Amino acid sequence: METTQKLEILSAAAKYDVSCSSSGSTRSNMPGGIGNAAKSGICHSFTEDGRCISLLKVLYTNYCIYDCAYCVNRRTNDVPRACFTVRELADITINFYRRNYIEGLFLSSGVVKNADYTMEQLVGVAKTLRLTYKFNGYIHLKAIPGASPELIKEAGLHADRLSVNIEIPSESNLKVLAPEKDYRSVLSPMSLIKVGIEQNKEERRHLRHAPLFTPAGQSTQLIIGATPDTDKQILSLASNLYHQNGLKRVYYSGYNPTNLYDSRLPALSAPPLRRENRLYQSDWLMRFYEFRVDEIVNDEHPELDLEIDPKLSYALRNPHLFPVDVNKADYHLLLRIPGIGVKSAKMIIAARGFRRLNSENLAKLGVVMKRARYFLTCNELTAATVQDLKPEYVRAILTSPVKKGRVPDAIQLNLW
Amino acid sequence: MLVYYYDGTFEGLLTSVFEAYERKEQPESILPPHASAGLFAHTHEVVTCAKKSERVWNGVKKIGGVLTCEHLYYTFLSQEEGFEMHFLRYCQHLFTCNRPVMKDLANADVLKVFQLSRKVGREAHRILMFLRFEQAADGTYFAPYAPKYDVIPLVTGHFRERFADQTWVVFDSVRNYGVMYDSKNDTVEKFTINDPAFDVETGKLQPDAEHPEEDNWQLLWRTYFKSMAITERKNLKLQRNFMPKRFWKYLTEKRI
Repeated sequence: METTQKLEILSAAAKYDVSCSSSGSTRSNMPGGIGNAAKSGICHSFTEDGRCISLLKVLYTNYCIYDCAYCVNRRTNDVPRACFTVRELADITINFYRRNYIEGLFLSSGVVKNADYTMEQLVGVAKTLRLTYKFNGYIHLKAIPGASPELIKEAGLHADRLSVNIEIPSESNLKVLAPEKDYRSVLSPMSLIKVGIEQNKEERRHLRHAPLFTPAGQSTQLIIGATPDTDKQILSLASNLYHQNGLKRVYYSGYNPTNLYDSRLPALSAPPLRRENRLYQSDWLMRFYEFRVDEIVNDEHPELDLEIDPKLSYALRNPHLFPVDVNKADYHLLLRIPGIGVKSAKMIIAARGFRRLNSENLAKLGVVMKRARYFLTCNELTAATVQDLKPEYVRAILTSPVKKGRVPDAIQLNLW
Repeated sequence: MLVYYYDGTFEGLLTSVFEAYERKEQPESILPPHASAGLFAHTHEVVTCAKKSERVWNGVKKIGGVLTCEHLYYTFLSQEEGFEMHFLRYCQHLFTCNRPVMKDLANADVLKVFQLSRKVGREAHRILMFLRFEQAADGTYFAPYAPKYDVIPLVTGHFRERFADQTWVVFDSVRNYGVMYDSKNDTVEKFTINDPAFDVETGKLQPDAEHPEEDNWQLLWRTYFKSMAITERKNLKLQRNFMPKRFWKYLTEKRI
């Protein structure tokens, strides 16, 4: 089979894995070598669905011994199959890299023969790139569930990031869709990697040149909408993964209707994009906005509001916290105001050290006053806030479709 | 109305800052050569002076620190019309306060300098994203680009570190100059070409100047680019948001 054809098959088979980040690693180039990792990560292109291409994301092979209901590569599906050779894959990576197409390689695979054999192949590719080609760009490897600890450790020595996909947010539903799999086989490599990263950090504190172990940490992916799991279950799981397993990222992948013949799957007409977006927003609230998971979803609100974003939803459920005085409130509280993001909160803190801020200043700093005005006070007479109006009313204003050039809450005077 | 004319260089601008202080006057605008000052303007020609500009720059560095210097230099690179007065007033504000003022974002000039420098920084990052090298017959990797701002000085370091083992050329087709990195001697050289061996519209090398395997790699990349898209999630607006159309003409996967 020709390389072009292989690349077509094995990239199309990998595209449902949403992880694309190339950030978090500081690996530098070495004499005579090629490449380095950029700390902030760099996206190099964007496909027609608007997702970024940062890494060459491919499967080593799409042959698979498993038959998971949600996966396009399940063994009972009649799709074209292919398998790269180590050499081929390394050549493509290097040549793409030299042309500034990519930041590095993201390598996953269907499981062939057994977990250990598959993991060996992936490690082999990473090792060849690092040692033979002296490649110091970004490498993201999948840890195959069930692979032996030695192989996972070796993978960590060559990769910048490792990930094990949980895919289904609860074990009971996993059992329905993929009876051959269980949570243990996913969680044990995850904790192994966690321990490895912690040990490596400690080592490097004493020995500056101790070899890196997965410097960009680990991530995982959850499929959304293939099972009846609630947003509360999903976000609680994510929160646990961040706090207890030290994950860098949890990705949410709206279930793309495939394998529709399988009656265990819901009959969707399109992937649940809106819900996926709200989950990412909640994820950001947990990671950058100092929100606890139970402030976003709880027993009274197990599902996210699809109409408004989770932060606005939180503010409307807790009107007693507002309005916040932007000239006095601490960073934590500023972040809770709808319309103020991490950047503008930091800018507010910086700027108010020089003078008191008014609403004009805030707008110039990038605060979305359209939303924020109901939740803050500043150095001037206040307009009506969420305290004076009712949360339901504020919600109605902010969700009503605004016509261009018309103030939403102004009342049009009638002459006759 | 008082107007300063300077020679358009960074040193010239710093000299203007010095002279406004020395002559105890505040110009209404600072203009590069050939800009029109208006009918009734009273003009003063600023002669660039290394000593004066150095004094200003050292003062900025001492009070504001490296980050302030970066903001001001990036603002200069933006070359946006009228940026000079913001530059001047920023420096004056800095010297008056005698402490770093880059956080005083409620000050109009500080905010403007911050925003301009951010624009330039963002453009530089986009070059890191969207630059595409093509291999020429002699093995050199060549990349043309057309940035909004003159950001070559900001991106060479990145490519020098990353592609230390290949000889590469980055060429700004708007300002008609480029830099060439020689991997053997680890040197970067500035150059201009009058008779380019590439198509200015698409950035593509002429067929005889191209490495025999180049087309093959480009085809592979286009194949990959196409097969990565999930058709059920098609969203062309989002794609254009992240990857503005003005970059498409030199993108291997997008150009015709």
